[in-house]
Amino acid sequence: MEIPYVVVIILFCLGMYTIITKKNLIKIVIGVTIVESSLILLLMLVGYIPGGTAPILDKGYELVVDPIPQALALTTIVIGGSVTAVMLAMVIKVHKRYRTLNIDEIRKLRG
Amino acid sequence: MSRLNERFKKLYKIGLVITFAVFLLFLFYDIHNLDSDSKRYLSEHYISEGLQETGATNLVASVLYDYRAFDTLGEATMILTAATILAFLVPITKATMFGTTFKSIVNQTVKLIIPYLAVLGAYLLLFGHISPGGGFVGGVVLSIIPILLTITYSVEFSEYIFKPDQKKLVEDIGAIGFVLLGLLGVLTGSNFFASGQAYFRTGNAGEVFSAGLIPYINLMIGLKVGAGLAIIFNSLIKEK
Repeated sequence: MEIPYVVVIILFCLGMYTIITKKNLIKIVIGVTIVESSLILLLMLVGYIPGGTAPILDKGYELVVDPIPQALALTTIVIGGSVTAVMLAMVIKVHKRYRTLNIDEIRKLRG
Repeated sequence: MSRLNERFKKLYKIGLVITFAVFLLFLFYDIHNLDSDSKRYLSEHYISEGLQETGATNLVASVLYDYRAFDTLGEATMILTAATILAFLVPITKATMFGTTFKSIVNQTVKLIIPYLAVLGAYLLLFGHISPGGGFVGGVVLSIIPILLTITYSVEFSEYIFKPDQKKLVEDIGAIGFVLLGLLGVLTGSNFFASGQAYFRTGNAGEVFSAGLIPYINLMIGLKVGAGLAIIFNSLIKEK
């Protein structure tokens, strides 16, 4: 077990903790993005081999890292950006309707 | 009583997260100990044959735009969907960005930076298949230009330079062009999004006009991502 995996777990759990415990909607969106970045780090780690260079074939480089997880990381980044944008739009809508971002107060206002 | 209850709830949540962490620890331990030969079976093929089959020295580009272009189509659809949902959810009522209290030095610096950003974005787009870069990265760099204009000057100025309808048009051109380029593979009797396998001119590896359809697909994706991100940012920041 290497240290980077532990970093991934710590980041992931920080994000999950933020999502579970925080009351502010913006903070929940931030938690989701933290979870996303931990996933990107995990993808990088799965494809890594010791001593490998970036997957751009050039003269003199024999050992390159796995290109598939890097492509998947690009997918993750794009989808994460889109999802974050949609979540923020929803937060704007919620704030416009209830004038607050606290989940408990929103629940109270709905009765 | 209620305070005790709340503290118990918090402890419960912390315990939940810690349990999850232990689960992940075991999971990653298994991932780490996977047999490395079976893990790299597919990527070995991409690494050893990718250059001959697609003509792109950037293997990530060859995976994204040739072997797995379907995935990329899905990503492009995600951005289109996000921009559409934003236009639906955040209907533009007022364009009231903060009254640009930046000092004039910031404005002058932005003016100087923008041409370099345009050149960098164009470089990343055009050389995506032979260097680190590609459509997504180039598109993001290009979308920084309207975003910078919005932040330093105002939404009105940014939309006077880049009209929303024009941005939408560019995004649509990117999406439709991407699919049409994919159909070229079908016309030559191969499968959808085939470029290297369909014997499009793979050319000499390392030249700009090589690697079959990959440079053109890169360009389309770049237009799409750049316009899409600019639309998303402007619609989010417009709401007061």
